[in-house]
Amino acid sequence: MATLAAIAISATALTGCGGGNSGGSAANATGPLSVWVRGSGDSMKAYQAIFSAFTAQTGIKVNVFSTLTDFETKLSAAASAHKLPDIAVDDAAQLGSFETQGIIQQIEPSTISGSGQLESTAWNEAKDSAGNDYAVPFSVQANLLFIRKDWLAKLHLPVPTTWAQVVQDAVAFTNDDPDGDGKADTYGMDVPGSTSRGYISWWWSTMLWQAGGDYVKSDGGGKYTAALDGSAAVTAAQEFEQLACTDKVVQPGYLNDDTTAANKAFETGVAGMYLTGPYAFATFDATAVKGKYVVVAPPLGPTSATLAEGTDMYLMAGAKNNEADKLLSFMISAKAQNLGMTAVSTATVVRLPVNNTVSATAAHSNDPRWALAQQVYASAGHFEYDSMPNWTALRQETSNEINAMMANCSSPSTAMTNLNTKFQSLLQQQGVAG
Amino acid sequence: MASMTTSTARTASEASATPGRRAGSRRVGRGGRAYVPWLFLAPALLFLGVFRFWPTAWGMYLSLFHVRPYLGNQWIGFGNYTKAFGDPALISAVWHTIFDALASVLGSAFIGFCLALLLEGPARHLRLLRTAVFLPVVVAMVAAAELWNELLFPARTGAVNTLLGDVGIGPQQFLSSPHQALASVIAVQIWKSAPYDMIIFVAGLAGIDRELYEAAAIDGAGALQRLRFVTLPALRPVTTIVLTLGVIRGLRVFTEIYVLTDGGPAGSTQTVVPYDYMQATTNNDVGYAAAISTMLLVVTALLTLAVRWWRAKVED
Repeated sequence: MATLAAIAISATALTGCGGGNSGGSAANATGPLSVWVRGSGDSMKAYQAIFSAFTAQTGIKVNVFSTLTDFETKLSAAASAHKLPDIAVDDAAQLGSFETQGIIQQIEPSTISGSGQLESTAWNEAKDSAGNDYAVPFSVQANLLFIRKDWLAKLHLPVPTTWAQVVQDAVAFTNDDPDGDGKADTYGMDVPGSTSRGYISWWWSTMLWQAGGDYVKSDGGGKYTAALDGSAAVTAAQEFEQLACTDKVVQPGYLNDDTTAANKAFETGVAGMYLTGPYAFATFDATAVKGKYVVVAPPLGPTSATLAEGTDMYLMAGAKNNEADKLLSFMISAKAQNLGMTAVSTATVVRLPVNNTVSATAAHSNDPRWALAQQVYASAGHFEYDSMPNWTALRQETSNEINAMMANCSSPSTAMTNLNTKFQSLLQQQGVAG
Repeated sequence: MASMTTSTARTASEASATPGRRAGSRRVGRGGRAYVPWLFLAPALLFLGVFRFWPTAWGMYLSLFHVRPYLGNQWIGFGNYTKAFGDPALISAVWHTIFDALASVLGSAFIGFCLALLLEGPARHLRLLRTAVFLPVVVAMVAAAELWNELLFPARTGAVNTLLGDVGIGPQQFLSSPHQALASVIAVQIWKSAPYDMIIFVAGLAGIDRELYEAAAIDGAGALQRLRFVTLPALRPVTTIVLTLGVIRGLRVFTEIYVLTDGGPAGSTQTVVPYDYMQATTNNDVGYAAAISTMLLVVTALLTLAVRWWRAKVED
């Protein structure tokens, strides 16, 4: 009993101290910078190359901690202990969540040298819903459609430029034995359909926008209303369902596949078309599928749009601001951005540069795929609602609903009505419902 | 209740030198040596305290808050618990967990028992076979799950589907169908845990007095009757252990689900612990996750007590 009381007392003490110095900074503190990066393997070699260049230039040491698994959970643990790093490098989609948790600081653009050269869409995306800067972008990308060109050639099919042609090619890839092994073991469309981390909705976003729909409509003042009950959303859901349930052109087991499994399906010739980011060039070029695919702007619907994503740098609460600002400025410099694209050939941690003076095409020896990636991002890149207080929860709900609809081949309009209701109630819970 | 409790108490008092009262006086005589056993226990207690009891108590405490690690937690009383009772996804996860636990525990126990009957004995070839059969237990679940994912590939070309095709059964969806996924996961769990149960049953079988079989045989009992009237009653304590361990293991199922399906498709394999994990990580709602964990702890504890009570009652 006494122990329990002691636990309760010390717990209260810990919690009480939580409210204390939120958002504070240690601007004058010195010493090595602590940087956390969500990543692993070769990516970390690329980041290390950038940090080494920074240390060589400024004399400021950087201590890096990296993990791919449960990055945000570990950050929460560091937040409870009030031992946050100075900078965290993570998905742009975490912005709203980090701000709500009070673990990041507002960015003052004038303290980031070179911020005038930042690419405007990415820079805008680093604002919260009230328009305040809460991150500095480091890398962006927009999805492309990867297609097996040897399969197209074998079956005398055109490179698709319309949704109808995508479906037609997908059906032919499934039925006409494009790999010529005499077995019905190929499929048209490669979909990471798992609900894990929200993969299925992440894939479907492009389809939703191309159909002319959206997750929410803005009511202004940082308020939103769910917009998934419109006819465009239903059409997008219907067309997705048609691929898997009617035409049956999606790889088997897709409802449990994450991106690793979906990558494997493309690499090993199970599926012939795959909507994914240009980071996959490096991944695929290390496998047997190298040189056997083309990339195109995804023609999934009448409206030109494709999912854009970013990697942001967050200035954490309590950071050593003077030195951290120097690192943030360095990370967006031409030197660091180029290193991020080329230092390690298997890991382009900078997918598309956020610095207007840097070109991905030039960095990758005029590879036309990167030219296309850059052009598609600029003309059709569409971000999700990263500045919502908890976008990941909204994305998870979307994934659960779409995964269930696809698994049961159930009515798209019912699914969208249900999803819209759940979405609206989550918006309310997060305090951003209009 | 307890024949076990009583017998334990009896043994304890006998061991500590009869009668107990004198033991007390001797303790005083030795001058404070009473702390010695605690010193021996201290490392383990300290370890358990830091890594088990403290986190458990801390988790229970957090379940009463809207957890905000940096800004300070907000007290919401039993709000997280109220939410849990009205959360349809959690309720369906609870049903899946119960079904999964029962089916996998009974399936494993049955197959484990059959394997034990087949493979019990001191012969060298049996030892070899037992080792081979035991292998799934020592294989890391993550690796095994990847393997099963390949074997259960839901197209005609999948390994299991090819075998089914040879006997005229069309390709099955297994983990990809909301109607078959839970059963497929249970099958993998049985594959993994039946050999473990087998080892416990083998130990139980080895402990049965051979004379009982001989006596039964002389009395004219056939193989089935010997099984029914000698083996099964003798194995009752072992069966209880197998079932208790199994149920506790079943309620906490995580790795199999997380790696094989991550709760999908259509939430058909979502169970309590992976759902709990998702609340804490993806949805960043640690307070709610703590409330679910606390309820799971209470249910597991109650269930364990119930099994012990039932066992004691039966043995009385």
